[in-house]
Amino acid sequence: MLQKVYDWIDERIDITPIWRDIADHEVPEHVNPAHNFSAFVYCFGGLTFFVVVIQILSGMFLTMYYVPDIENAWKSVYYLQSEVAHGQIVRGMHHWGASVVIVMLLLHTLRVFFQGAYKKPRELNWIVGVLIFFVMLGLGFTGYLLPWDNKAYFATQVGLEIAEQVPFIGTELKTLLAGDASIVGAQTLTRFFAIHVFFLPAALFALLAVHFILIRRQGISGPL
Amino acid sequence: MHRGKGMKFVGDSRIKAEKTSQIPKDYSEYPGRTEAFWPNFLLKEWLVGAVFLVGFLILTLAHPSPLEGMADPTDAAYIPLPDWYFLFLYELLKYKYASGDFILFGILVLPGLAFGALLLAPFLDNGPGRRPHQRPIAVGMMLLGLVSVIWLTYTSASHVNWQERAEANKPIPESSVVVDTEHEGFAAYEASCMTCHGAELEGSAAAPTLVGIEYTPEEIATIAKEGTGSMPAGIFTGSDEELEQLADFIITVNESAE
Amino acid sequence: MSKEKQQVSRRQFLNYSLMGVGGFMAAGLLVSPIRMAIDPVLKKSDSGDYANVGLSVDDITTEPQRVDWTVEQVDGWYESEPSKTAWVYKDDNDEIVALSPICTHLGCVVSWEGNEQYPEQFFCPCHDGRYEKDGTNIKGTPPLAPLAVYEQKVENGILFLGNAIDRKGA
Repeated sequence: MLQKVYDWIDERIDITPIWRDIADHEVPEHVNPAHNFSAFVYCFGGLTFFVVVIQILSGMFLTMYYVPDIENAWKSVYYLQSEVAHGQIVRGMHHWGASVVIVMLLLHTLRVFFQGAYKKPRELNWIVGVLIFFVMLGLGFTGYLLPWDNKAYFATQVGLEIAEQVPFIGTELKTLLAGDASIVGAQTLTRFFAIHVFFLPAALFALLAVHFILIRRQGISGPL
Repeated sequence: MHRGKGMKFVGDSRIKAEKTSQIPKDYSEYPGRTEAFWPNFLLKEWLVGAVFLVGFLILTLAHPSPLEGMADPTDAAYIPLPDWYFLFLYELLKYKYASGDFILFGILVLPGLAFGALLLAPFLDNGPGRRPHQRPIAVGMMLLGLVSVIWLTYTSASHVNWQERAEANKPIPESSVVVDTEHEGFAAYEASCMTCHGAELEGSAAAPTLVGIEYTPEEIATIAKEGTGSMPAGIFTGSDEELEQLADFIITVNESAE
Repeated sequence: MSKEKQQVSRRQFLNYSLMGVGGFMAAGLLVSPIRMAIDPVLKKSDSGDYANVGLSVDDITTEPQRVDWTVEQVDGWYESEPSKTAWVYKDDNDEIVALSPICTHLGCVVSWEGNEQYPEQFFCPCHDGRYEKDGTNIKGTPPLAPLAVYEQKVENGILFLGNAIDRKGA
C-alpha cells in the first residue's frame, strides 16, 4: 500500500532523485566510530544539530503558553512549568538544551580546529561555522531575558551596560537593543522576544543550510 | 542518464518517465571500509543520538530548569550574574586592565581580537600542514585562549554560592500569599521582621522567604529571639505575648499560601 | 562584432534593470520596518525631568539623610511609578549634594554609616565597598568609580532631583 502511494507520487513528481541526492554519499572509514572508536569526535557536529532540533521543537511548543509581556511573562512561565503537564520537562529541554548546544558547538569547533580541517579549501565553511557560533550566543543572550525573573532582568541590564560602553555608537546601540534609552522594560522584552524567536533563528537556518551544503559539496576532510 | 533526443516524459510534464534507482551506490571500490551514508552510517549516527537523547532527558528530569522570582527592577541588592557561557567575559571586566579607564580594552579589544582571530583562523593559519605539531603558533594561541576562558569561568563561578543564591531567589507566586494586616501579630512582624523578610514574607537579599517554612510556632518564636544561620540573636524585642502573636501571624500567612 | 557587443549590452541592460526593480522592491518592503525598529534611537529622550522629592532645603543638614521619592515612568504602553532613593546633605560650602545609593561595583545599595566599623563613610553590604562622604570610592575596596550624583535644582525652597550622572573612576 505504502509502496503504491510512493510510486503514484513518484510517477508524477519524480521525488526519488531528491532524497537520493541527500542519501547517496559515502562515509569514509576514518570518521566511522564503528571501525575506529576515536572517530567519535566526528559525532559532535551531528549532535549539535540534534540539539538544535530539540531547541526548535521545544521552543515552538513553549510559545503556546508564553507571553512576552512584563506583567505576564514570568507568570506564564511559572504556570507552564508548575501547572501544565510535562511543562517542566519541555522548559527543561529548552533550558538545558541551550547549555548543551554551546558545549557541543565548542567540542565540534575544537575538533575541527585541532585537526586543521578548516584549511584550504574549507575556509568558507569555517567562517560560516563561527558565524553560527555567534548566532547561538545571541540566542542565548536574548533567550535568557524571556522568563523575566530577577537573574534574567539583571543579567540583561549588565549586558546592555556593556554595550553602552562601546565608543561613539554605544548609547544608540543600547537603545536599539533595549527599545528605550534608560529603561529595561516592556519594550526590551518584546524586542528580545522578536530577535530570539524570529530574527536569529532565520539567520541560523540560512547559515546551517550553507554549512551543510558546503559539507556535501566539499566532502568531509581526510584523515590526518 | 538520458539526455536530449529520445527522452520520455510523463504526460506533458517535465517529469522523466524513466525512474531513478533506489538502491544505494556501490562503495566497495572506495579506500578502506567506506560505507553508504544512507542507511548504513545514518543508523549508527542515530544510535549515538538515541543514547545522547536518553542522557539529555535524564538531565532535564533530574534538574528542573530554575526560575527565580519575578523581575523586580527596584531590588537593588540583587547581584547580577549572566548565563555560564558569558561568565568569562563578565569576569574579565572585573580586572583592572579590562575595566575603569581600560574598559575599551576589556569589552572591545580583547574579545574582538579573540573572536576575530577565531573567525579568520583559516587565513591566519594558512600553512599546508594540518597536524597540530606542524602549526605550533595557531595551536598554542587556541590552547592559551581555551585555558584563559576556562580559568576565567572557573574563577567567576567559584565566587558564587550557588545554593544560597537559589535559596534566596526562589519564585513565589504572587497570588498565593495573603497578608492580613489586621492580624494582631502583624504589628510585631512590621516592627521586627519586615525590613529583611519583606512586606509579603517574600524575603530579600538579606533574608530568606518565610513562605513555605516548616516550623512550629514555638520554633519560630525561638528563631525570632535567638536567630538562626546568618540571622543574629535579639532581633525581636517585644513581649512574650507579642512573640506568640507574631509566630501565629507567620503560620497564618503560610497556611493561606497552601 | 558590433552586433555581438550590442547583445551583451542588451543583457547587461536587463540585468541592471532587474537589480533596479529588485532594489526598489527590497527598499519598499524594508523602509517602514527598519524605521520602526530604530524608532527608540531617534525618539527624543523625555528623561531629565526633575521630580519633587518632598524635602525642604531648610531640612537638609550636613549629615547625609536618605530621601525616597517616586517618579512617573512611561515605558511604551506600560506606566509605572518606581521609587528612587538619594542620600542628601549640605557640604562644607553649603552646597546641596544628592548622591545615588547605587554602588558602582555591582549595583547594590549603599547606606551612610552602614557599618559601625566605618563611621563617616558610605558602606555597601554586598562586597564591603566603601565611599567617602562626597561619594569618592575608597581605594582598596571593590568599587572603581564614585557614587553617581543627581542633577538637582531648588524651587520655592523645595529640592527637585533629576537623573543620576555617573562620575569618572578615581
